[in-house]
Amino acid sequence: MTKRHIEIAAYALFIAAMMLAPLVLDSFWVNRLAKYLVFGMLGIAVALSWGYAGILNLGQGLFFGGGAYMLAMSLKLASQTSLQQGSDKPVPDFMLWNAEPGSQTDLCCINKASFLWIPFQNQWFGVAMGIVLPVCIAALLGIMMFRKRIAGVFISIITLALVLLVRLLIIDAQPITNGFNGLTDLGWFKLFGFEFDPYVTQTYYLIAGSLAVVLIAARLLIETRAGLILQAIRDDQNRARYLGFDVPRFQTFFFTVSAGISSFAGMLYVIAAEFASPTFMDLSFSISMVVWAAVGGRASILGACIGAILINTVTATVSETKGFAEAWKAIIGLIFVLVVLYLPRGLAGLAHDLADRLVNRLNAWRSKATAGQQANKIQPAE
Amino acid sequence: MPAALTVDGLSVDFDGFKAVNSVSMIVDEGELRVLLGANGAGKTTLMDLISGKTKSTGGRVFLYDTEITNMEEHEIALAGVGRKFQIPSVFKDLTVRRNLEVVSCHDTRVIANLGFGFSREGEKRVDEVLELVGLSEESKTIAANLSHGQTQWLELGMLMVQNAKVLLLDEPTAGMTQAETLKTSKIINALKGKHTLLVVEHDMVFVREIAERITVMHLGQVLAEGSVTEIEQNPKVREAYLGSRAIS
Repeated sequence: MTKRHIEIAAYALFIAAMMLAPLVLDSFWVNRLAKYLVFGMLGIAVALSWGYAGILNLGQGLFFGGGAYMLAMSLKLASQTSLQQGSDKPVPDFMLWNAEPGSQTDLCCINKASFLWIPFQNQWFGVAMGIVLPVCIAALLGIMMFRKRIAGVFISIITLALVLLVRLLIIDAQPITNGFNGLTDLGWFKLFGFEFDPYVTQTYYLIAGSLAVVLIAARLLIETRAGLILQAIRDDQNRARYLGFDVPRFQTFFFTVSAGISSFAGMLYVIAAEFASPTFMDLSFSISMVVWAAVGGRASILGACIGAILINTVTATVSETKGFAEAWKAIIGLIFVLVVLYLPRGLAGLAHDLADRLVNRLNAWRSKATAGQQANKIQPAE
Repeated sequence: MPAALTVDGLSVDFDGFKAVNSVSMIVDEGELRVLLGANGAGKTTLMDLISGKTKSTGGRVFLYDTEITNMEEHEIALAGVGRKFQIPSVFKDLTVRRNLEVVSCHDTRVIANLGFGFSREGEKRVDEVLELVGLSEESKTIAANLSHGQTQWLELGMLMVQNAKVLLLDEPTAGMTQAETLKTSKIINALKGKHTLLVVEHDMVFVREIAERITVMHLGQVLAEGSVTEIEQNPKVREAYLGSRAIS
């Protein structure tokens, strides 16, 4: 048995546990867990960019929110609330409430920018934009930052400022985004005629299946030569540059992949939570993602994913336990401090050490056993 | 023998201070050239200019017949210039073998590397180089845990896998013990002939061990050029760099 076997077993175990969870949970917790699985996907995105590329993006919420809003626009138009007054042309309810008297109740011209919503009547346009828009923003941003050789804390500052800027823009564009209320009362996501009610297990499996695919894909991605080169770049950019690697390209590529995963997570979250809101672009949310990855282990795809799910589950349980309702934030804070102080590589680091010890012990035991066998064979000859 | 590296009137001006002032030199293919000079003579700056770290303000650099003046660092590297830094720099969180494997990806595009495993020639070369620099035993060690000397050898090994035509080595024996220096000179002598080398070095024992021709720099300019004996007896070099004492 090698460490590689243990790692494969850990992935298999996690995916199996995720697939079996609905058997023992009620529908409320199934929906809740589905949301935490989405956060697990965000953990993967953070591990990829922070742990493997060394890019601490404090604006991951920008891409999550981007994906969420794009799909939410489509689902809003599919909602019953957008079909008031017996009309067959969907118009979001908040646009009607705020419409100027006498304006035409149609997406084309109920207000100045409402025409932007027209293509979102097709759900797949929302899905496509949910990936394309964040990925394009990430690629552009990446090219600009990495070509300029911006690194370290300055990347964090730029991404942080950007997510807050976009959050402000969304709140400001009230006529088409419903401002700080966000998009609520959404319809259900449809796939091959099936409607994904957030509280049925099919929705859970849509999300769990997506997470399994992303998890394995991300793990395989860092196993490729490009993934290895990326880690080399993280360790010493200059060294990589003088070996002929176009460093900004690698950084931009993985930064963009990480953004794509985040935006995919954003869309799944909208399906499970039935809303999109500017809180997705709050600074605290983006920082939370980083904390999840730190606790789980930023240098491990699975670790960061489990870290996110675990922290959110613990938070929910503790905050609803009588007596802890007030103190839960302090408890979570304490866990963070302890992990950072004593487990700098997170829970995954701990697991790696245990796996190392297990492998060593097994090997020692095996060599002793074979030595014993050989001794037994030799004895009769004597 | 063709000229592998041609530097023609290369200059750089840092706000009026000419750190390198119209330096010209020709290094033949397979030659090992030592750059000698006191601190601040412009040796490292000259390497920075050749490898693209610093952009020159005048003059030109050729690698064989290709002009590489002021290209991007990775383009110069791809054209065939390898560089070893004064402070050893390796990928410290990767194992020794991984460090060399990264370099064995000769196609440096992202898309081309979205596959698993390394080419057979690449792996063979990595094995050879591990043997050459004496790190076969440490192939699974994380680079951060290597000794100073081993780190230097690993970086030399990376340049060998890179298979650059011209290698720029900045003080490859800095901070090494005598035994380590000896081993380094063996590695560098093994590179002679296969690669063209330009080495900055202060340690005269080491220089005598490896040098064929020496270029002496002083205040950003070339002061003299010649064999070890010629340089040791050159009065201008004695005056400028060595004081009145002989080369020790």
